[in-house]
Amino acid sequence: MATEFHNLQELRQSPSLATKVFIQRDYSEGTVCRFQIKFPSELGSRIERTLFEDTVKTLNTYYAEAEKVGGQSYMEGCLACATAYFIFFCMETRYEKVLKKISGYIQEQNEKIYAPRGLLLTDPVERGMRVIEVSVFEDRGSSGSSPSSNVSSGISQR
Amino acid sequence: MPGSSKSGGAGGLPSPPHTASPSRPLRPSRYVPVSAATAFLVGSTTLFFCFTCPWLSEQFSVVVPIYNGVTFLFVLANFCMATFMDPGIFPRADEDEDKEDDFRAPLYKTVEIRGIQVRMKWCSTCRFYRPPRCSHCSVCDNCVEDFDHHCPWVNNCIGRRNYRHFFLFLLSLTVHIMGVFGFGLLYVLYHTQQLDTVHSAVTMAVMCVAGLFFIPVAGLTGFHMVLVARGRTTNEQVTGKFRGGVNPFTNGCWKNVSHVLCSSQAPRSLSLFVHHRCLWIYSMLIVYIWLYYYPLKQCVELQSSLHSKSSLEMMESQSCDAEPPPPPKPELRYPGLSRGHQEQHTEESSLLSKAPPTPTMYKYRPTYSSPGKNHTALTHAYANQSSQQPGFRSEPSLDGREAPGERGGGGLGGGGDRPGGGGSVGGAPGSGGGGIPGYSLGGRSYPSFSDPTVLSSGGGASRSSSVRSGSAHNAAHISEATTSTSYKSLANQTPPPRNGSLSYDSLLTPSESPDFESAAPDMSPGRHRTPAPPPVLGYSSPYLSAQLSQQRDAELHQPSASSVALLSSPHRAHYLRVTSSSSPPPPPERERLLQESHSHSHHSHSHSSRPPRFSRPPLLSDSAAPHHYPYRTRSTDTPLAPSTHPPRSPHPPPLGKSLSYSSAAAAEMQYRMVRKASASAGGGGGGGGGIQAPKDEIQMKLLSRTNGQPRSSLSSSGSTPSSPSHPISMSTRPGQAYPSPGNTQSPAHKLGGGVKKVTGVGGTTYEISV
Repeated sequence: MATEFHNLQELRQSPSLATKVFIQRDYSEGTVCRFQIKFPSELGSRIERTLFEDTVKTLNTYYAEAEKVGGQSYMEGCLACATAYFIFFCMETRYEKVLKKISGYIQEQNEKIYAPRGLLLTDPVERGMRVIEVSVFEDRGSSGSSPSSNVSSGISQR
Repeated sequence: MPGSSKSGGAGGLPSPPHTASPSRPLRPSRYVPVSAATAFLVGSTTLFFCFTCPWLSEQFSVVVPIYNGVTFLFVLANFCMATFMDPGIFPRADEDEDKEDDFRAPLYKTVEIRGIQVRMKWCSTCRFYRPPRCSHCSVCDNCVEDFDHHCPWVNNCIGRRNYRHFFLFLLSLTVHIMGVFGFGLLYVLYHTQQLDTVHSAVTMAVMCVAGLFFIPVAGLTGFHMVLVARGRTTNEQVTGKFRGGVNPFTNGCWKNVSHVLCSSQAPRSLSLFVHHRCLWIYSMLIVYIWLYYYPLKQCVELQSSLHSKSSLEMMESQSCDAEPPPPPKPELRYPGLSRGHQEQHTEESSLLSKAPPTPTMYKYRPTYSSPGKNHTALTHAYANQSSQQPGFRSEPSLDGREAPGERGGGGLGGGGDRPGGGGSVGGAPGSGGGGIPGYSLGGRSYPSFSDPTVLSSGGGASRSSSVRSGSAHNAAHISEATTSTSYKSLANQTPPPRNGSLSYDSLLTPSESPDFESAAPDMSPGRHRTPAPPPVLGYSSPYLSAQLSQQRDAELHQPSASSVALLSSPHRAHYLRVTSSSSPPPPPERERLLQESHSHSHHSHSHSSRPPRFSRPPLLSDSAAPHHYPYRTRSTDTPLAPSTHPPRSPHPPPLGKSLSYSSAAAAEMQYRMVRKASASAGGGGGGGGGIQAPKDEIQMKLLSRTNGQPRSSLSSSGSTPSSPSHPISMSTRPGQAYPSPGNTQSPAHKLGGGVKKVTGVGGTTYEISV
């Protein structure tokens, strides 16, 4: 049985995408960029709740920092006005800098936490900042039975 | 200098990634307001500088022309930013994101924002629930974040990202007009004996233009100052969402102002662009073609010169054998995204081996349901392919025209066009009487600008020019209906032009009902088709046209007695009478434009093939309640019957006439009266403003899930994760490309121990243990 699955795995090189879980935005505080920290049930068996919630909370912190209206953003705006917005060719805005940090953070989280669990986070900026897309992967070779049991069979394989 | 205030801009529109040559209809009339505004602004100011300023600098000080120059530069900069910057377009959602919704998915989802229930409507074109304050612009065919309005004067939507520039443009334009008029007056007063000279004549002409444009521009500026102080968008103000109610989005006057003026520039969505590596490849191709142009030219010349000789054949082959060296491997580092070099090469090689459409583009193929958008998709696709863009840059001036979408413009007439909501603002400044269309002009459907023209001129090598291509890129989302059987898919058969656009496009196309509609209460569980409130007629034609277009659409989609009766109702006729009595702009042009948009909608309708998103049949159930306005309920989400095309034709002409502020004000009054009548009738169709709204919201809350649970009340109470069924649906969809370019596409090699290498979105490779 194990050998059979092993052969199947060799045949199928790429992991199969079982499903995608979408973490929606949290609009309870207005249109500020925040994501719901509620732990989705589809990930219940794949990752610990605390890890996931920490990731989302950190992302929320980053986005709050990006959207903060403070001295830096004000100076940025004044400089942009003074240079007729040509400064944008040379300089990154505060938001862009934070987005770079976020993308690096997501990459790091994927490498350290999510990929070993068969998950993959997608940067929200790719989706228009509407959702955090979590791709759940399954080994196609290990899921020999019906598609509905992909998740469970994948888990059992691990 | 006068300046017609323009607001426009490129909306990013996705485009299908296929290589088919798009037969995008060129709609030059879309660019008439932008061109006129630019001509007035630049031309008048130039005349002022040439004829008036020399004397002023001699007579008074050189500071005068310097001050005017700085002001004019500020006006131009903000005008360009408002025109070419992406307003904050949401890219189309992937198919996977929609898979959670089944037949029973409600049309609305309710969220609570600071204790206030807010509805998020399902957008059948973009395939997601519109975030709060987001609206779908029918002209641009995009959902725009913090949608303010579509301004024809800059041919762009005004949304989250470029509202600041639009507002500053208005402010600076007002100051500039005042300066030009004042200094021109000074010149004339000092030259009363020499008024027959050329300089005096030109100065007086410039003063006339400045004076003519000052009233609408100042009115609009004042209106937006009030909006900014209140923390509202034009869309919310005009549709009366917070009339008598509480605005959940306001943080106080000071914070609202600081948010508009001082917040950091929001980024563009990455998925709006073709993958940046493609951009790099295309730009390198362009560069290398240019670099090797001369050698190739010499080769050709040599060929022709040696052709006469007998021994030329060998020489030709020899001379032309000198092929240009292969381009070096491009550096794939982009400041916006830091990726591993290895992944970049992998991604690049994978991209190079592929056809031009990248995986990111692939997902935007017309597999989506939006009916009738195919032609638009093609047009946008063409524009998209010409340039791409990397990263989430702010893209100042080159943000350019993303989408060949039409842009209505709030422009000049906008201020006076909203007497209803902006009563405290200068009401009807009478700018409409001056024949300046302003917002009302937005209703006209302008042709899609040929983004490719702008984009290609921008050059593929330019990052910012690629920005726009992203918009065209998104056009790929639209199109073919999938086999999804959700109610949202049913709703996708709606006519392409969507709501939210305060333009004449809404005349011919149904507008989407606003999210905060205080419409009639939901009458059946799971169905959230509440009748749309009649648009604020005071806001001139766009909403009236939206209302009428919705009526028309209701008539088309649900030819019920109620809709017919409604259409022939005296109220509507009265609206038409009121609006047509106003002083109109040239009718022939208007009709022509209306016919253009009309044909546009016709064409769109013919493409609809998806079942509409499920919703209760409001018209049938509301037939007994004439006070219920059905536009709200169905419209964009109802199926489009091709057989219902003809009825649309007779409507456009009368709608085009209402543009003046006076007519808009009268219409607004009528609207209010009708709404009161309807409210008193107990149907609450139009909604008694804020009073009705909470009731409606509460009812909807009871009937629908809140905060992100897209399940109708009819479904089982528990949030049934449909994930177990997802693998089935996903595996049975042959040829479906997952959104992320590399999620499943990359030929991952097994690394042993059951670890798969997967290239995620953006090219990063992860090792996933399975």
